[in-house]
Amino acid sequence: MAEQFNNLSPATDVAENKMAKTILTVDDSGSLRQMLAFSLKDAGYAVIEAVDGLDGLEKAKQQTVDLVLTDQNMPGMDGLGLIKALRAMENYQSVPILMLTTESGSEIKAMGKAAGATGWLVKPFDPARLTEVVGKLIG
Amino acid sequence: MDASVTTPSEKMNVQVMHLLTGVSTHGDQRLAEVERDLAQMDVLLEEAIKKLCSSFMAIHLAVEKQQETLSSMHSDDKKSPECVERLETIQSEINRHVGAAITGLQFQDMTSQLIGRMVKHLTGLRDVFGELDSSESPIPENNYEELADKLNRISDRVCARCDEQTEKVRSSVSQRHMESGDIDLF
Repeated sequence: MAEQFNNLSPATDVAENKMAKTILTVDDSGSLRQMLAFSLKDAGYAVIEAVDGLDGLEKAKQQTVDLVLTDQNMPGMDGLGLIKALRAMENYQSVPILMLTTESGSEIKAMGKAAGATGWLVKPFDPARLTEVVGKLIG
Repeated sequence: MDASVTTPSEKMNVQVMHLLTGVSTHGDQRLAEVERDLAQMDVLLEEAIKKLCSSFMAIHLAVEKQQETLSSMHSDDKKSPECVERLETIQSEINRHVGAAITGLQFQDMTSQLIGRMVKHLTGLRDVFGELDSSESPIPENNYEELADKLNRISDRVCARCDEQTEKVRSSVSQRHMESGDIDLF
C-alpha cells in the first residue's frame, strides 16, 4: 500500500520547486501521513513527516516550516504538548498550527485554542477542503 | 457494612455478595464499552468500504472516458477545443473521486484507535480477574472471620482496578460516519 501511494505521489517535481512552502505533518498513523503527503504535495507543498510529537518537535527545530499539521493522540508527546512546545520557540510564534484529529469535543478544542492552535480539523479530512484551508493560511 | 450483620458467617455472605456484584458490574461495563466500539467500527468500516468501492468504480469509468477522448483526438489528429474541455472535465472528475477515496481510506486510523481502546478494556477485565486469583494465599478453611477479611481485601483491589480502568480508557473517536469532519479556524 505504502509503495503504491509513493508511486502515485506527485512529490518529485515539487521537491525541485524551491519556492514551495513546507508543511510539517505529525501523525503516528503511517497511512494518514501518506494520505496527507499525497494531498499536500499534489497541491504544490513540500512535506516533512514526523511520527509523533517528539519527532515533530525535533524536525521543527531542524528547519522552520511554514505550517504544522498535527494529530492529537500520539505516544510520547501529544498534539497539545507539541503546540505548547512550538509556541515557546521564537520562530514558531506566528506559524500556523492546525490540529487534525478524531477528537471533536468542545473542551479539548478549547484546550487546543488556549495552547496556541490556529485551527481544528476533525478527521477524516477531505483533500480539497484541507488544501483550501492551508491555502488560506499560507498561500 | 450493615450494622445488623454481626456473625462471621453473615459478614462473609455480605463480602461474597459485594465481591460478586463488583466483578459483575465492572465486567458488564467493560463488555458494554467493547460492544459499543465494535458497533461503531462496523458502521465506519461499512461506510468506508462503500465509499471506496464507488470511488474506484467512478475512477475506472472516468479513466475509460478519458481514454476514449484521447483515442478520438489521436484518430482525428487534431486537438479540438471540445476535446480539450472534455479532458479537463474528466480530470477534475477523477480528482474529485480520488479525494473521496482518500477520505474513505482514513478508516484505518479511526478503527485502529477503537481497537486499541477495546484491547485496553479487555486488559482491564483480565486485571480484575487476576485480582480474584487466590493461589498466592489460600482461602482459610472454617474461619469465617478471616475469610470475610480476605474477601474484603479482594473486593478493595477489584474496586481499585475498576477505578484505574475508568480513568485510563477514554473514547477519542467520536465519528459515527465517514464523511469529512468539521473545520474550525480560531
